[in-house]
Formats: sequence, C-alpha cells, structure tokens
Amino acid sequence: MNRPRTAVFLAIVFTVVYALAYVIAVWKNYALFTYHPATGALGLGVEKPQDGPAMYWFGWMATAGIAAIGACLIAWLVPERYAQRLGSGWSWIVPLGVLIFFAYLLRGYFLR
Amino acid sequence: MRLAALRARSNCGTINRIKSAPAATAQGEFVYIALLIVHGLFAVALLGALTHQTASTWLPARKQAGSFSGRFRAVSAAGYTNAIVWLYVGTFVLGAIIYPEFRISIRGVLEELETPAAMGSFELKEHFAVIGLAVLPAYWYFWRLPLADEHARARKALTAMLAFITWWNFLVGHVVNNFRGFGA
Repeated sequence: MNRPRTAVFLAIVFTVVYALAYVIAVWKNYALFTYHPATGALGLGVEKPQDGPAMYWFGWMATAGIAAIGACLIAWLVPERYAQRLGSGWSWIVPLGVLIFFAYLLRGYFLR
Repeated sequence: MRLAALRARSNCGTINRIKSAPAATAQGEFVYIALLIVHGLFAVALLGALTHQTASTWLPARKQAGSFSGRFRAVSAAGYTNAIVWLYVGTFVLGAIIYPEFRISIRGVLEELETPAAMGSFELKEHFAVIGLAVLPAYWYFWRLPLADEHARARKALTAMLAFITWWNFLVGHVVNNFRGFGA
C-alpha cells in the first residue's frame, strides 16, 4: 500500500515537538493558563495561588499543544524530499530522552 | 531545579484542607469516586492490551503456542492498536477530570505524611502520561496495516514506552490513592 510520506512526517514532528515543548514548558513554567481548582477559576498565563493550590499542568499541555500544531503547520510546507530524511527513530528517541530528563528534574523528591 | 521550587510551583507548601467545589457535596464525592473507579477500569484494560502487544512484539511466539505464556505472546499485536489508543485517551481524560480533586484533598495528606517519594512518583506520573499522549500519533501510524518493515524498531520502542508509562502510572496511582484511603 502506498502511503503519503507527509502523514508519517507530521506524526513524527508532532511527537517530537510536543515532547520538547512540554518539558520546556514545565521546566521554565510557561503555562498558557492557570487553573485554580478550589474556586474553579481560570487565569491566563502563570498566576499565583488563590484560595488553594494553583494547577499549571493543563496550561503546560496547552502550551505544548500550540507549539506542536504550529510546528506541524510549518512541517506541512516542507518539500517531500526533505521530509523523507526525518527518520522514524526520532519519534521514540526524543520522548525517551524527555522521560529521563523528567526523572532527573524531579530527583530531589527521591534523594532526601 | 531545586525541590523547593518544584514544590512551590505545585503550591503544596502548606497543608490545604479546602474541599474542591465539585466534590464538596456528597453527590460530588460520589461522582469523584465513580470516575476514579472507571479511570481504574480503563487503566486495567489498557494494561492488558499493552502488555499483550508488548510481549508479542518483543517476544513473539515462534511455534504453535501450547503454554499460557506462549498463547499470551502469540496474539496478533496489530489488532490491539486502536483499542490501546482509545483506552489511553479515555484513561487520560478521566484522570485529568479527577486530577484537581487529587491536588486539593490527597496531595495535602502526602505533604502531612512527609512522603516526598510518593509525591515525586505522582509528579512523574502526570508528566509521563502527557508524553504517552504525545507519542500516540506516531505509535498509531507505525502500527497501521500492512506493517512497514522500515518502522519495526520505532514500533517496538514506542510500544514498550507506552507499556512502561502505563504500568508506572497504574502502580503509582494505585499506591498513592491508598495513602488517603478509598473514599476517605
């Protein structure tokens, strides 16, 4: 079966960019919005806690999602001959590296 | 990054006993517990499917399967793909819905009990879950029939990664929930 090369290229780009954008968003706290679960309020960007904890997790995912979708839109314009050069290995090497980096980032919880 | 900064970001420096709006009532508590149970059931189904697929991908049965482990590995791995994708997304969405309640009522207990390893494990769980979601498009594409030989390594690696994430998240979620006690 002949499959469009673009589909696999976009799938790899999405996976790689989302994983990288997410880890950067967590590391540097680039949350698109903040959720305050105690009050149910949403605030744009990173906000301080209000009457309870502030949750940035949803905001980090949204930031990474925008970055990944943007990257896919750009990747859509990449000529076929260049798209073919991106190996499928990146789709697991980068996320694996991100998993390991998260373990390193949170090592303080386990090394006390 | 220092642990103090991470904890401040999580805003769990002080014990918070405020009940969240959705679970403040008895009805809200019931909905939360029901969602938690469905979340767990989805996770069990996902674990089974992913473990089957991982075993049959990494240790395929070479001959007619007679034993239990042989039959376990002899399944048609590609047939699990769509179910795994839908179960992962479903489990993730349910987990995201009940996560705010965890942040408010269980995280504080973990702080009080001074269990940094449990908190760190759950932090890893939330990040691992997102990375699992991120790899789903590539995972799904590489498992499309007919299977392309050029993607065999990526297929195996992504399947193993998803299996690891799912097992980690299941065990951590189960253990951390037990700190507070079911429905307590």
